[in-house]
Amino acid sequence: MKKNCLILLLLFFTVSLKAQERDVRNVFFDTLRTSDVQPTPIGVDDMKFIGTGTITTEDSTYMLYTTRIIRRDLDFYADFELVQIDSFYLRTYEITALDLLGWMRLGANYVVKLEVEFPGRNMKVKWQLYHTVNRQQIDHGEFNYNRAFWREIGHDIANEIVHTLTGERGIFRTKIVYVRKIGKSKELFMADYDGANERQLTENGSINISPCFDPNREVVYFISYMAGDPHLYKVDINSGVIIKVAEYPGMIAAPVVSPDGKRIACVLTKDGNSEIYVLDTEGRIIKRLTRNPSIETAPTWSPDGRNIAFSSDRTGSPQIYIMDSDGLDQRRVTYNGTWNDSPVWSHRGDRLTFVSRTRNRRFDIASVDTSGADFRLLTEIAMNENPHFSPDGKHIIFTSDRLSAGDIYTMDISGRNKRRITTTGDCSNPYWGPLK
Amino acid sequence: MKRISILLLLGVFLITALVVSCGKPKKVQEETTPPPVITEPEIKPEPEPTPPPPPVLKESQFVTVYFDFDKFNLRSDARAALDKNFNLLQEFPNAIIKIEGHCDERGTIEYNLSLGEKRAKAAMDYLLGLGINQARISIISYGKERPAVQGSNENAWAKNRRCEFKIISQ
Repeated sequence: MKKNCLILLLLFFTVSLKAQERDVRNVFFDTLRTSDVQPTPIGVDDMKFIGTGTITTEDSTYMLYTTRIIRRDLDFYADFELVQIDSFYLRTYEITALDLLGWMRLGANYVVKLEVEFPGRNMKVKWQLYHTVNRQQIDHGEFNYNRAFWREIGHDIANEIVHTLTGERGIFRTKIVYVRKIGKSKELFMADYDGANERQLTENGSINISPCFDPNREVVYFISYMAGDPHLYKVDINSGVIIKVAEYPGMIAAPVVSPDGKRIACVLTKDGNSEIYVLDTEGRIIKRLTRNPSIETAPTWSPDGRNIAFSSDRTGSPQIYIMDSDGLDQRRVTYNGTWNDSPVWSHRGDRLTFVSRTRNRRFDIASVDTSGADFRLLTEIAMNENPHFSPDGKHIIFTSDRLSAGDIYTMDISGRNKRRITTTGDCSNPYWGPLK
Repeated sequence: MKRISILLLLGVFLITALVVSCGKPKKVQEETTPPPVITEPEIKPEPEPTPPPPPVLKESQFVTVYFDFDKFNLRSDARAALDKNFNLLQEFPNAIIKIEGHCDERGTIEYNLSLGEKRAKAAMDYLLGLGINQARISIISYGKERPAVQGSNENAWAKNRRCEFKIISQ
């Protein structure tokens, strides 16, 4: 009886692992490949068991899926291109030896070697990074967590490899928030950057939209109609506690926290028309920035907090403008197409990414430098919306209806390497959380 | 729906009462009489000196106002719809309403929230211009978050670019 139960439990576990795995495998590429950087080819060898005794089915499942997490993370990352393992070229039968020559023949500049032990309930993974041509070990390390955190082990190893090879912090432990439509209501959800571990943040049956992370704290600001009219709220992502931040006559919309976390730019219509305001984090007005009978909306901060880009239809259709963060010196940036809206400022400060309606009355993600030059389309099919940058500024998250009634996708800032993050449809309004 | 079923029940009751009182021969004819009979019972309490209960305003009596893509100006059909809604507000002087501005799915969430607000405001301003008290009308924008119909074609979009009237109290 006990044995049966154990087998059932094991079976259930493998099935649930597989179910989690499925939702992020949907990778596909647009025809567009205008990358500025040639990605570095990197391989990840199969994980080898180096402990004593035999391994259980459960353990081998952990090994398989942890390896997959590392491979997918590196393949996702803009600077890398994953070299697929190919047993025709590789001597994979040997337990501990790494076939550096084989990996070099496959085209990999680097290869990751993974070894595992299972002490108690833990999973201890040793990783070593090799240069295939120099045949040298570049870096190595070890993670030893409870095996329930196999995803975290995989993400942490991938983060280490990114840090070793690029000097930058990996983003594989970051979170995303987005909106999912349930019946007539829209609720906030949070998940890992790859769509796994989804969690519901609001559950009020109303409309909850425009989520935005505080860059310094684990707080998400958002707009909710839960009390009837739209007000500004914040939710603590750890405790789940929701607090009202600001309530003004008319509408409040499009909140976005400044890079220093001290101010919130948003839209208020209390003057009878959409105008951009800056509030403090308690919801008090610091300053009104625009005065125009037209629609001014979708503010975004420059990385230094000194400027704000926004959209305005003062010329008849929405176009993107930049102003100082005190509202002065407003100037138009976009001239391509009849509709440019929803700008976000890149982390290096040199470019704006936004929604553009150019050809065939379609909505695409586009980017332009802050002077208005070098206009580039980053998507080429379907309706695309809500671009936001990853915290390292190398990737863009956005909504598209290309394969469903709205799902969340990611791509490199060049438009390359598009991936579907959610697969259920009815998802929109993503925002990428900060690095911890 | 509930009201109709109650009326129907009353009608059926009346018919059976008639059938019972009239006897067997007429049975077949009585059963085939059409529903108009239903309206009769309401006339009964006439002899009472109390005034008739005030009529009840229903949201479905308001006419939905439609707009062009990325526009909030009132077309002639929109003004005609608002004139009808104005008459209703005159007829029901205690009614306090909220105008909901909506948009089609094209364009961004934020822009459409602002556009929906402009549509609701345009409708409100028109009614204020006709003399409705400001205290009776408020507005809200749902942008593209609450479409009336699903679909990604001009037919669906046209139905979603609208202002709906909701009753707050009366």
